[in-house]
Amino acid sequence: MIRTLTSRFLGYAILIFFALVFLYPFVIQIANGLKTEANAAANPLSPFPDPLTWVSLERIFSGTGFPTWLGNSVLVTVVVTIGRVAFGSMAGYALSRLQFRGRKALFAGLLALMAVPPVVLLIPKFLVLNQLGMYNSYSGLIVPLLADATGIFVMKQFFDSVPVSVEEAARIDGAGVFRTFWSVVLPMAKPALITLTILSFTGSWNEFPHTLVSVQDPGLFTLPRGLADLVSGSLGAGTQYPLKLGAALLATIPVAIIFVIFQRYFVRDTTAGADKG
Amino acid sequence: MAGIRGNERPAGWLFVAPAVLILGLFMLLPILMALWVSLTRWNGQGSPFTGSVPFAGLDNYTKLFTDEGLARQDFMTSIRNNAYYVLLVVPIQTVLALALALVVNNRLLKGKGFFRTAFYFPSVTSSVAISVVFLFMFANGGAINAILAVFGIDGPQWFSDPRGLVHLFFDTPPSFLTEHSLFGLSWWDWLAGPSVAMCAIIALVIWTTSGTFMVMFLAALQNVPVQLEEAGLIDGASAWQRLRHIILPQLRPTTFLVVTLGLIGTWQVFDQIYVMSQGNPAKTTLTPAFLSYRTAFRDFDYGTGAAISFVLFLIIVVLTLVQRRLTRERN
Amino acid sequence: MTRLRHAALAAALAGSLVAAGCGSGFDDNGSTTTQQSAGPADLKIMIASSGDAETKAVQDAAAQWATSSGSKATVTPAQDIVQQLGQALAGSTPPDVFYVDAARFADYASVGALEPYAQGLDGVDSFLPNLRQSFTYQDKLYCLPKDTSTLALQINTDLWTKAGLTDADIPTSWEQLRTTAAKIKAKNITPLAIGDTRDRVGAFLVQAGGYWVSPDGKQATGDTAQNVEALTYVQGLLKDGLAKYPKALDTGWAGEAFGKGKVAMTIEGNWIKGALNADFPDIKYTVKELPAGPKGKGTLSFTQCWGIAAKSQFKQQAVAFVQAMTSAEQQLSFSKAFGVMPSRQDAQATYQQQNPSDAPFVAGAQYAQGPVNAPKMDSVLADLDAGLQGLQGGDPKALLQRFDKNAKTALGG
Repeated sequence: MIRTLTSRFLGYAILIFFALVFLYPFVIQIANGLKTEANAAANPLSPFPDPLTWVSLERIFSGTGFPTWLGNSVLVTVVVTIGRVAFGSMAGYALSRLQFRGRKALFAGLLALMAVPPVVLLIPKFLVLNQLGMYNSYSGLIVPLLADATGIFVMKQFFDSVPVSVEEAARIDGAGVFRTFWSVVLPMAKPALITLTILSFTGSWNEFPHTLVSVQDPGLFTLPRGLADLVSGSLGAGTQYPLKLGAALLATIPVAIIFVIFQRYFVRDTTAGADKG
Repeated sequence: MAGIRGNERPAGWLFVAPAVLILGLFMLLPILMALWVSLTRWNGQGSPFTGSVPFAGLDNYTKLFTDEGLARQDFMTSIRNNAYYVLLVVPIQTVLALALALVVNNRLLKGKGFFRTAFYFPSVTSSVAISVVFLFMFANGGAINAILAVFGIDGPQWFSDPRGLVHLFFDTPPSFLTEHSLFGLSWWDWLAGPSVAMCAIIALVIWTTSGTFMVMFLAALQNVPVQLEEAGLIDGASAWQRLRHIILPQLRPTTFLVVTLGLIGTWQVFDQIYVMSQGNPAKTTLTPAFLSYRTAFRDFDYGTGAAISFVLFLIIVVLTLVQRRLTRERN
Repeated sequence: MTRLRHAALAAALAGSLVAAGCGSGFDDNGSTTTQQSAGPADLKIMIASSGDAETKAVQDAAAQWATSSGSKATVTPAQDIVQQLGQALAGSTPPDVFYVDAARFADYASVGALEPYAQGLDGVDSFLPNLRQSFTYQDKLYCLPKDTSTLALQINTDLWTKAGLTDADIPTSWEQLRTTAAKIKAKNITPLAIGDTRDRVGAFLVQAGGYWVSPDGKQATGDTAQNVEALTYVQGLLKDGLAKYPKALDTGWAGEAFGKGKVAMTIEGNWIKGALNADFPDIKYTVKELPAGPKGKGTLSFTQCWGIAAKSQFKQQAVAFVQAMTSAEQQLSFSKAFGVMPSRQDAQATYQQQNPSDAPFVAGAQYAQGPVNAPKMDSVLADLDAGLQGLQGGDPKALLQRFDKNAKTALGG
C-alpha cells in the first residue's frame, strides 16, 4: 500500500514537473508579450506583467507588417488546405482502388518522394520557380504546396483499409467513377479527410523554408517569414522582446485552437506516420 | 464488370493528374535542375540553363572534400556541428519520450489525457514562433539563467559563447591533437563538442519533438498485452525487471522507428538555426542545410550551395534506406 | 526496382520537356529589357536602413521626388539586404534602385548586376575622390556615393560622472583607454561595448599601423606584428571584462547597449546619432575621436552608394531619382535626420557648421581607412568575423594566418 502511494506520488511529481517544462514557455510567451520592455528584461520568468500593457500588441499591428503577413498566411493556408485535401484524396483513392496502367510505378515514385527531405529542396525550388516565372508571386508561394506526398499516402492507406463492397454496390447500380467518388466514397472517408485537413492546415500555417525561397517582397510574406525577419531584425531595431513574443503568440493561437478542438485526430496523425516505410 | 473497369483507366489518370503534375514540377524537376546547377559555376545572373554558364564538372564537390580551402573548412565544420547535434538530440529525445510514455501510461495515475496533450502541444506549433520564445528564454539575462541563478549557477552567455563543451573543460589542447588534421580541421577542432549556443538549440529541439515520439510510444504501449504484464506481476518481478524483460522487447519496433525518424530529422535542422543564430557564434551552429542556403543566396555561389544540398541528400537517403531495410527485416 | 527505374525515367523525361517548354522566367540578357525612357516610372527602392529615422527620411524624400516628377517611388527597408538583393537579382526581379555597400560593391559589379550610370555623369567631380574610388570597378565609376561615416568613441556622460571621472580621463591612447576602463569597471559599470566584427575591431589594427589588406586591396596582410599587437590588445580588454561584445550584453548592436545605459563607452559611427535620437532620446553623451594606438590615430570609414540595377526598366528615371537624393541640399537634410556625413565636397563646409558636435567624425575622415572591397571576399570576411567572435579565447596570430590563407585564394594571388 505504501509502495503504491509513493509510486503514485512520484509519478505525479514527474508528470507535473514535465508539464511545467513543456507548458511554461508558453506562459512566458503570453506574459512577456504583455510586459513593458524593461519589465520583460528584469523579470523574464514572472508570469504576471507589471505593469500590464497592450503597447507591444498595438505596435505589432501598427508598426510592423503583421496585418499583411496574417492576411497572406490565411490565404495560403486556406488555398493549400483545400488543394491538399482535394488532390490528396483523389490521388489516394486512385492509387488504392482504380486500375490503370502505371499505378504501381506511381506509388513507388510517391514513396521515393516522401523520402526527399524538404531542406535539400531550398535551392532547387528557387531554380524552378525562377524558370517558370513564378518567383516572388502568390502562385509561387501557393502552387508548389498544393499537393504533398505524405497526404496522398495517408489517404491511400485509409482506402486500403476500407472494404470495397459499398462502392461496388453503387457501381453496379450504374454510377460512374466520379459519382461514386463524390457521393459514396468521400462521405465514408470523413475521419481520414479531417486528419488530412488538420495535417495540411498546420503544415501550411507553419511552413517556413518554402516562403524563404519563393518570395522576397515583404508584401508577400507569411507569418513565419515575417516573424523570422522581425527577429533577425535590422541594425538599430533593438531587441524589443515583448513585440516579438507577442507576434509569435498571435502566430501560435490558430494552431492552438485547432489542436484543442481536434486533439484526437492529431494523435491519429502520429500513428499514421508511424506506419509508413 | 468489364464495362465498369473499362472507364477506370482515364479516370485513374485524371484522379492522379493534379498531384502528379505538382509533385513532378515542384519536387522532381527541381532536383534535376539543381543537379545540373551543382555542376556549374552559375553566379545568379541570367538563366543557369544556357551555354554561357561555365561548366565546372565535379569541382563543386571536390571543393567540399579534397581541395584545401574555406569551402571545405566550412562544410566540415557544419558536418561536425550537425553530428554533435544528432549525437545529443536523438538519444535524449528517445529516452525522454519513452520515459514520459511509461509514466503517462501508468494505470494508477489519472489525468492521462491532460498530460498527453501538454507534452504533445509543443510539436504542433510553428518552429519559427517557438524559436523566438527560446531566444528570449536563453538571453543572458533571460529565464534560463534566472533559474540557474536560483541554484547558484552563473549561467553562460548562451548565444555569444563559441567554445565547445569539451573545450570548456580542457583549456589547453594537447599538442598531438592540434598537429594532426582531417579534412582541414584539426583533431582538436573535431573534438570540440557542441558549443554552448548549439546546446540551447538542442534543448529547443528535444523540447519540441519529444511529445511526438511519446505519443508513438504510448500507442505501442497500449498494444502490449495485459496478460504479459500481469504474468510478470505474479512472478514477483520488480518494476525494473518487468520493464527490461517484458515491456521493452515489445516496444522494439517503435523504438527503432523513433530512432531512425530522429536520425533523419536531425540532419535537416534549418528553421531554428535561421531564426536563432544564423550559424553564429563563430560558425558553431552552422549546419549543412543552413550552409547550403547561405552559400547560394548570400555568396552567389549556387553551384557549391547545390552540391552541399546533394551531399546532405545522400546522407539522409542512406539513413532512410537503412531504416526501410531494417524495418522490413523485423516485420 | 525496375518499375521504379521506369517511373523515374518517365518522370525525368516529362520534367525536362516541361522545363524546355516554359523556360521563359529567366531574363537571359539584360539588353532586351524594355526601357521606358521618359514619362512616369514606378520605381522600387530597397534600402538597408540604420533605423526608423533613416527609413522615414528616405521615404519622405522619395515621396517628395515622386510628387514633383509624377512618378511612383516605393521605398522598402530590407531586413537583410545582401540576402534579399541576392535572391532578387537571381530572380530577375531586382529593385530599380538600392543601397550598395562598398564592401559588397565589387561582387555586384563583377557579375554585371549594376548599371555603370555614374561614369561620365555631370557633376560627378563634386563627390569626394576616395569615395568615388570605392565604387570604381575596372576603371568605371558605377554609382554615386550616398554618404559617408566614420567610427568614433561615444561616452555616456552620466555614467562617466557616476564613475567619478572627469574630462581629463577621456582616453586618447590605448594605455589610457585601459586605465580609464579599469576605473569604470571598479564601479561595477561595463566600460566599453564594441561590435564583434572586422568593421569595429579593425579600427585598432589601423591604430597599430596595420590592416587586413594592403593599401591597393590586392593582397592580404593579416599576419603582421602590428595586427597581432592590435588583436592582443582587444583580446586583453575582453578577457579582463573591460570591453564586451553586444550579444554578451543581451543587445543586438553596441549602440543599443549604449542607449540602454549598460555601458559607459562604445565605438560606433555617425549613424548612432539618429538611432539614439529615435530610440533612446534621454541618453546624454559626447563624441570623441578614437584613442590613438602605437602608430597614431586611426579609424574606419564606411560608405554606400545608390546602385541602379542593370535590369531596371526605368534607368533614366532612376538616375534622376539618385541625382535628387544626392543633391547637396538633400544630403544635408539626411545628415540632420540620421547623422551621416555628406559625400559631396561642396556640402562639407555647411555640414561642419551645422553639426559642431560631429567634429570627431569629420576629423576621423582625414585618417580613416576604407573597407576591403574586392569581389569574392564576402565569405572570407565572414570567416574573419567568426574568428573575431571567438577572439576572447582564441589565438590572434592563428586567426590572422587563417584570414591570410583564405584571402589569398579569394584574391587569386
